[in-house]
Amino acid sequence: MASSGGELGGVFDHHVQRAVCDTRAKYREGRRPRAVKVYTINLESRYLLIQGVPAVGAMKELVERFALYGAIEQYNALDEYPAEDFTEVYLIKFMNLQSARTAKRKMDEQSFFGGLLHVCYAPEFETVEETRKKLQERKAYIARTTKNKDHYITKKKPVTELKDTKDFRQNFHSGTSGFRAVTVNTSAGNSDPCLPYSCELPLCYFSSKCTCSSGEHMGKASNFSQDSRNHAKTMEHCMHNDSLQKIQMKPLKNSLAFPGAQKAITSSEAVERFMPRTTQLQERKRRREDDRKIGTFLETSTSSNEVMIGPLLPDIPKVDMHDDSLNTTANLIRNKLQEVISSVPKPPEDKLEDVHSSRPLKQRRRI
Amino acid sequence: MAQKPKVDPHVGRLGYLQALVTEFQETESQDAKEQVLANLANFAYDPGNYEYLRQLQVLDLFLDSLSEENETLVEFAIGGLCNLCPDRANKEHILQTGGIPLIINCLSSPNEETVLSAVTTIMYLSSPGSGSHPELTAMPVVQCMLRFSLSANTRLRNLAQIFLEDFCSPSQVAEARTWRAHSALGIPLPRTEAPQQP
Repeated sequence: MASSGGELGGVFDHHVQRAVCDTRAKYREGRRPRAVKVYTINLESRYLLIQGVPAVGAMKELVERFALYGAIEQYNALDEYPAEDFTEVYLIKFMNLQSARTAKRKMDEQSFFGGLLHVCYAPEFETVEETRKKLQERKAYIARTTKNKDHYITKKKPVTELKDTKDFRQNFHSGTSGFRAVTVNTSAGNSDPCLPYSCELPLCYFSSKCTCSSGEHMGKASNFSQDSRNHAKTMEHCMHNDSLQKIQMKPLKNSLAFPGAQKAITSSEAVERFMPRTTQLQERKRRREDDRKIGTFLETSTSSNEVMIGPLLPDIPKVDMHDDSLNTTANLIRNKLQEVISSVPKPPEDKLEDVHSSRPLKQRRRI
Repeated sequence: MAQKPKVDPHVGRLGYLQALVTEFQETESQDAKEQVLANLANFAYDPGNYEYLRQLQVLDLFLDSLSEENETLVEFAIGGLCNLCPDRANKEHILQTGGIPLIINCLSSPNEETVLSAVTTIMYLSSPGSGSHPELTAMPVVQCMLRFSLSANTRLRNLAQIFLEDFCSPSQVAEARTWRAHSALGIPLPRTEAPQQP
């Protein structure tokens, strides 16, 4: 892989246009014929090298054409760069990388004043600081995107954890903890952030979030992504926490003990883990009902501004299921709801304040 | 980097990636392997695909491909890793599955892009503040980076400089400098270099 000129402004391998691949299997042929090439953050750059510009004094037009894709910081002709007869080579530096990427994608192989442009990246023109910034921005972008994705995914499938916790119910020594896990996820509306990724990881994060975020209640959705990431490493310390969390750790241990089995997750299995829509609808309905009940109470309450969840209990009609175990179950769920709601004052409060103006239903995010 | 089947954003994408992985594992054609690996490596650039890639164990596929004899496959594989390793979950996976020695090996490659991707991957894996792996700043690595930092290749020089400044302590660098005088073996520079004095 020799390059004729290691100095700046010389020809490099990454400047050379590769031949288009014509032996691709049909199913993976793209819309445009492309060469076989991998683009990494190293290769991409704010600097673009443009070859094949007809030497007709059209620098201004060229720059204007590229400026459609983003602000240009500087540009100049590269007179020493080997060019075909009657063509020129230009270097354009964009203000940000994304503009450069778009410009390259759009302008490569485009016709310009009768010639075909060849646009490529020229990372060798970067300073150390520019390279450093480029790498940091890439990292920040990924962190940002992954965090948003987690948030979106958790809001979209708030009860996905239900399916998992059902499996673990037999591991729980008491029904309370089982229901707590269930209701935490549903009421908080935020199950494990990394759930779709794999069986092992989400449970690790889930436990770390439960146990290691000291004092912070499970309902605080927004902090979770960060906490789970920060605390992922301390997962092993979670074992020393209280019994409830220890119980929750057990299924995690079991799942971690079978990494081989977990790794054999196929795509179909992954699809199975998504909650069926009807269950999600039911869950949302149930939550709406609970909110409505709380809202109704507030409307009639003339006491202090503070949301009193305690006294709420007697007002919620207690459905008698005509069966002791079912009643116990229902009571446990109800109690858990009170607990969770009482320790997450913010979101319900916002909803309750708006009860007069609009139905709490409207506040809920729908899919 | 738009790929053709954009049918249903999630089911279609996963199926497509699965098809790529299957082809990679089954085909005997080196060309096809290169094409598919390049495809996957480019997919690894977009964080939206990370969950699928993890499900399909593409990270392991990349790591395994680092040991291939075909230099192009190695280049694409380390490129793929470089693309997806800034993500925390991916990074954990690579660290836990013992990917570090394989990546450090890539520093010896005669292929320029391979070395560049390897250096960047090492930097992303050894991000400060998250309990960085000591192997990533071991003496051979630091010495290698010192040599790279004197390279005529600007891209390599820049990356090596960033590594030494941001990811090594001054004492490590100083130690590596004194060691260099005595050390007999070194990681050779990529072939694109003009030979550098040691």
